Amino acid sequence: MQREPVHLSEKELILAADGELSVRRRAKVNAHLEACWSCRERMRVIETTIAEFVRARNAELNRQLPPAAGPRALLRARLSEAAAATPGSSFWQFPFPAARVGQLAAGVAFVGIVLVVLTVFQSTVSAEGPKPRLGITPGETRPITVEEVCFYQRAEVVSRDIPNDMRQKVFAAYGIKPAQADQFEVDYLITPDLGGTESIRNLWPQPYSVRWNAHVKDKLEQRLHELVCGHQLDLQTAQRDIAVDWIGAYKKYLGENPSH
Amino acid sequence: MPIRSPIEDEVVALFEEFRAPVIRYMLAFGLPIADAEELAQEVFLSLFEHLRRGKSRANLQGWIFRVAHNSALKCRLQLRRHSDRFVYEPVLSMAAADPAPGPEETLAISQWQQRLLSVVRALPEQDQFCLALRAEGLRYREISEVLDISLGSVAASLEKSLSRLMRAEQT
Ligand SMILES: [Zn+2]
Repeated sequence: MQREPVHLSEKELILAADGELSVRRRAKVNAHLEACWSCRERMRVIETTIAEFVRARNAELNRQLPPAAGPRALLRARLSEAAAATPGSSFWQFPFPAARVGQLAAGVAFVGIVLVVLTVFQSTVSAEGPKPRLGITPGETRPITVEEVCFYQRAEVVSRDIPNDMRQKVFAAYGIKPAQADQFEVDYLITPDLGGTESIRNLWPQPYSVRWNAHVKDKLEQRLHELVCGHQLDLQTAQRDIAVDWIGAYKKYLGENPSH
Repeated sequence: MPIRSPIEDEVVALFEEFRAPVIRYMLAFGLPIADAEELAQEVFLSLFEHLRRGKSRANLQGWIFRVAHNSALKCRLQLRRHSDRFVYEPVLSMAAADPAPGPEETLAISQWQQRLLSVVRALPEQDQFCLALRAEGLRYREISEVLDISLGSVAASLEKSLSRLMRAEQT
């Protein structure tokens, strides 16, 4: 069993400051920061340095910037000229050759949101506890490569706390009354570590107190991450399996009985 | 008189939001401010075409910086090739070169801040780009797309730059 290092690395502190840690890793880092004054002081130095650098950079660059009004008016005029011309006719000469624009456009088109398309079925409470309703929460992913998923050994992908108004929307969609809300955690169906988004199509209320609960799902997420990064499972299959039936996926990848 | 399309308004709104960040970023290439201003116009005209053709709206901020990055590189190349008026001079060094900054501007930048800026000037260009994009609010994933480098390289670059800046503070 490998021991955790005593203090946080500089890299981890910077990633934490920039909000680039996974939910799981961030929780550990926060717990350490609460406990450890030394690391908190190191974090303060990082934040102060960033603040001073930004202040210096802005002071230096902003005074060179002419006021926006002139350039804005010029752009307005150019836009109406361009709007009058047929799309794609003339003004591509500078700064991009047409081939480059095509390439760029293709790249950008790829960055659309990829939806995991699933059949709609409804299922609320079964013997194993409530499940996500795929009509409301089909699972939605952003474009992400395996390299990004495996960026760090354990899933260090951007994710944030789910904002309160989003939580309320999820509860409303599932017909959960405010009084019952504290029995549920709003959780990602496809974890951000595997490319899941923070949209209502990827969030569902997970009950705390059942056999198949959030801790069990965490285990599955960790396992899928290992498999994807070990090239034993492709990312799309992992995303689909966890979205369609995460309990089934747990049984498939980890065995019949949940371990907590 | 043609009716103004909603896309024109949208592009102007994005211009309001991103003109300054884009120009500040382009100044990291050592471009003269007038060229950076003109390139910013081109970027937003391209954005207009992009939106008018119904292309993806996902992450327009990333799109804008990617196009800005490519045009700045190209413009710098052209300036170097076709003109002797262009002397490469990273803009953060202009403070030192500027003969007459106003008194409040001189006061606005502390010695420590001057030292931080000189540390940045000494960084390899790629690290300066990374830092500038982060300073303009891009996330690691977006930076990796603009610079076409891996996420790991973005994190490593920022870590390196920040530890240099922190050491500058301590000396
Ligand atoms: Zn510590």
